[in-house]
Amino acid sequence: MWGIFLESVVIFKNYMGFHQNHFLAGIYLLVLLYLWLVEKDRRRRILFVYAPTLILFLFFCPLFRKVFVRLMEDSETYYRLLWLLQMSIVSAYGLIRLMGKHRRIGLAAVCLAIVACGDYVYDSEHISRAQNAYHLPQAAVDIVDMIEPEEGRITVLVPADLIYYVRQYSTDIELPYGREMLIARWDYYNAMYEAMEEAEVIDTPVFAELARTYPCAYVILKEDREMEEPLTDYGYSDYGRVGEYVIYKDMTLQDS
Amino acid sequence: MLPVISFIFWLLIIPFCIGLIPANFIPAEKRSPGFVLLSGYFGMWALFEIAAVPAVLWVEYNNFKAASAVFTVLTLFCAAAGILLLCRNGIIVGWKPFPVKSLLTEAGIMWLIFFLLLGFQLYRAAAFASFDGDDAYYVVESLIAQEAGVMYRILPLTGGSTGLDVRHAMAVFPMWVAYISVRAGVHATIVSHVVMPLALIPLTYLLYYEIGRLLFSKTRQAGGHVFQKQNLPSFMIIMAMFQIFGNVSIYTNETFFLTRTWQGKAVAGALVIPALFWVFMQIYDKGVKNGRTDAGIWILFVSVNMAAGVCSSIAVFLVCILTAVTTFCLAVAERDWKILFKVGAACIPNVVYMAVYVFMAYSYLLK
Repeated sequence: MWGIFLESVVIFKNYMGFHQNHFLAGIYLLVLLYLWLVEKDRRRRILFVYAPTLILFLFFCPLFRKVFVRLMEDSETYYRLLWLLQMSIVSAYGLIRLMGKHRRIGLAAVCLAIVACGDYVYDSEHISRAQNAYHLPQAAVDIVDMIEPEEGRITVLVPADLIYYVRQYSTDIELPYGREMLIARWDYYNAMYEAMEEAEVIDTPVFAELARTYPCAYVILKEDREMEEPLTDYGYSDYGRVGEYVIYKDMTLQDS
Repeated sequence: MLPVISFIFWLLIIPFCIGLIPANFIPAEKRSPGFVLLSGYFGMWALFEIAAVPAVLWVEYNNFKAASAVFTVLTLFCAAAGILLLCRNGIIVGWKPFPVKSLLTEAGIMWLIFFLLLGFQLYRAAAFASFDGDDAYYVVESLIAQEAGVMYRILPLTGGSTGLDVRHAMAVFPMWVAYISVRAGVHATIVSHVVMPLALIPLTYLLYYEIGRLLFSKTRQAGGHVFQKQNLPSFMIIMAMFQIFGNVSIYTNETFFLTRTWQGKAVAGALVIPALFWVFMQIYDKGVKNGRTDAGIWILFVSVNMAAGVCSSIAVFLVCILTAVTTFCLAVAERDWKILFKVGAACIPNVVYMAVYVFMAYSYLLK
């Protein structure tokens, strides 16, 4: 039980970003304490004081965590219980109470505190200027436009950095493996993935043989991907290039 | 032009008309446009759950087309009923021309700051792409439904056929996105990444506005402080700042809200759970005349519960926990044990959802 409690503490710290020196949760906890002391409206105490406190208690309760994980069959989503705290609503309400009549200076101070204790969401490395209306990398769109069949579906082998995007643009493109291979903790195995991504240098004959078992009508490789022998020696043609990607077409497949 | 009209119809007019139904069952002075639109959205998602979940579970071929047909009939019927009720009974308050002069007041300037913050978030949502690995599942599910007319029968990650993954299949939010995409004739990925944020971010702030309105619109004495209307724009600014600077980790609902707005779980965290706060505030704010909560609020409560199931299976469990905790506190504080039964009855859709979930997930044990 103590171990489960400590795990919950780690989840809480990770959620609140304490390890990255973010202290927005500090504002929230102070506001919660403040509301404990000053909120007199009974019904508001229920929503803004008692309920968040009980949820925090449940979050750290080992028995509750055991039941939650057993029911959901998933321990990775336990942090979502903290969504019930609704940090922003409770904090905003409490902070406005705290400001009282000093609204202007209070609001300025609160905004400064949020900036200092929080983290700017648009600084994320995962956010970049959109290259098109799909919000997908233009290279993925251009490659699919080049190889997409007029009818039916084809299987295409693409490098890891395109796996997320290709099928968001066209579901007529099928993949030998998908995103599941890129999440290490899911621990999947796929021989094609090993040959494509894990091998330092692509073993061309084995690679071509594996690709044809699906069969992959096209193989997309980065131009600097090292291969023991060129794919063109194994029945593939250099079909085209998009940016740093080279598109190989399997000429042994009649219908592609 | 046609897609724009279609988006306005399905994302504004239809939910507004549906929202007229619960609005009809609350006092006229409470019928604000915000209440109508928000309750319309939750009602629309509840209808989508009724149409889509049975189709996902028990229709094998063209299940998306079947669900779409049922949903279209249900929504148009409810929208028509809402208009009919409005014509017969109702008025909507809160339609006031924007007071331009008030822009020069302190509150006006604060509103201006809030709208700048909102506009900035909308600009970032439309002009910037936010990468999230889960899109390879959810967005592709929407696209498969749009292109192939099937729900959860094709593995989105690779394209192979698959058995039913009940946990994801019962959360049909991507199918609702697909439905909007089909009606507008726009690629589901564009709808997910551009249209949904432009619709859902303002909708979420509309909810925060309604919560703030309940908290601050009346001048009331509480704990020695006088709450005034001027506090509402301050509240909205703080809410916006919390969203923009709430990225203290990848797990917060604020991060989900602005980086993966189009996913059901983000909608659950940013819209559905706060909506429960909103509903509880209204349940607690019992009618002065007879001490009873208005029927429209109970309709809204049931809709929000059902909308949680549309967003995510875990959200159903989460709203049940929040409901149980707050209702327990209310029952103790008010010495009103009947409230447990009333709220329990409103949670029946969640119980049914979880029962179906458990049955489908473990039915293999019966074979």
